[in-house]
Amino acid sequence: MEKERTLWGEFIKGFITTNPLLVLMVGLCSSLAISTRVESCIFMGMAVIFVLTCSNIIISLIRNLIPDQIRIPIFIVVIASFVTIVDLTLKTIPAVYERLGVWIPLIVVNCIILARAEGYASSAKVSHAMMDGLGIGLGYTCVLLIMSVVRELFGTGKIVMFEHTIISLGTNKMPAILILFPGAFITFALLSALLQWYQQRRKPEIEGG
Amino acid sequence: MHEAWRFFLLFFGAAIVANILLIRFIALCPFFGVSNSLETSLGMSISVIFVMVMATSVSWLAWNYVLDPLEVGQFLYIPTFILVIASLVQFVEMVIKKTSPPLYRAMGIYLPLITTNCAVLAAATESVKPGFFTKLNIAYSYGFVEAVIYTLGVAVGFSVVLVIFAAMRERIDLAPVPKFFRGVPIAFIAAALFSLAFMGFAGMFGL
Repeated sequence: MEKERTLWGEFIKGFITTNPLLVLMVGLCSSLAISTRVESCIFMGMAVIFVLTCSNIIISLIRNLIPDQIRIPIFIVVIASFVTIVDLTLKTIPAVYERLGVWIPLIVVNCIILARAEGYASSAKVSHAMMDGLGIGLGYTCVLLIMSVVRELFGTGKIVMFEHTIISLGTNKMPAILILFPGAFITFALLSALLQWYQQRRKPEIEGG
Repeated sequence: MHEAWRFFLLFFGAAIVANILLIRFIALCPFFGVSNSLETSLGMSISVIFVMVMATSVSWLAWNYVLDPLEVGQFLYIPTFILVIASLVQFVEMVIKKTSPPLYRAMGIYLPLITTNCAVLAAATESVKPGFFTKLNIAYSYGFVEAVIYTLGVAVGFSVVLVIFAAMRERIDLAPVPKFFRGVPIAFIAAALFSLAFMGFAGMFGL
């Protein structure tokens, strides 16, 4: 019994039910490494949304032309072309480009994008694939923003965006561990535990997970 | 002697000081996906070391003898490298299938997965473009031998951490953990402590 798939449903599912980071557990690497600065997260989120949406649209458009045996190389070539566009575009903002470093070329092998191309866009209508790309991309960006706000605010005591201090806690005696490498793992563990706690409270009859 | 010491520093820095998993967060998906049991993580490690070294060698040659002389490097390096990696993985898969079916069965699903392993692409990219751990790259003059040693270091660092972590997770499964921390969250907490331990290597030999 296939449920009727609406465009809005395809869009909204990326936030909670199939959130790429917290539920599907793909694309973790970039989210942990980037989330030390809110500013970098905004650029990274935009880059991922762009690549994901465009590659979903293209792959969905040509899905009937792709021979099954060589579909993965074709997906990768499509994705790599859009990543090159992002790479060359971001090069015009040297400060951001330097900070994101190797993560821009690594969007090619970001599991989120290949997973959505392989698992969704290659068998969905173009409009659905586009909404899926937007939704999943925004879901990724949301988690990225939550993590970076927590880490930057409580790790350094203030949030700096484009050389302006947005929020300041008025002290710089903060636990620096949050901004360091272990802090990324801890922040993600707490977020993930929060989601499990919420799900277990909502469905107390289903044990474990 | 001096040369050997430089190579050792490059290897040690890539493997331990700037560990690709715990310090740089590259290739975390296989780290959490494959580290459920010791056996699978060993299979993954061996395939990654092999593919990574081959991929960097070919990418280095492609960059230095084709892409850079033709001045198309900055437009074409991403598609070129990923195609090199994908075809290498396919090639290795075919060779292993022909020559050693038991090894092929043992590696099974992990071989194709390496195509999307970020660490392989990262190592290949950084062997031609400076990475973001700049100190490592000052010692790094982009010769072929250095590129291979650097990649070997990255791959060994990946394998060591993956295998240790898999052994740890087999124990955590038996431990009494709060209900909503079971599974992924506790694995991340363990990784955090592990990463904290590896931070102790920072600054060793001035790396």
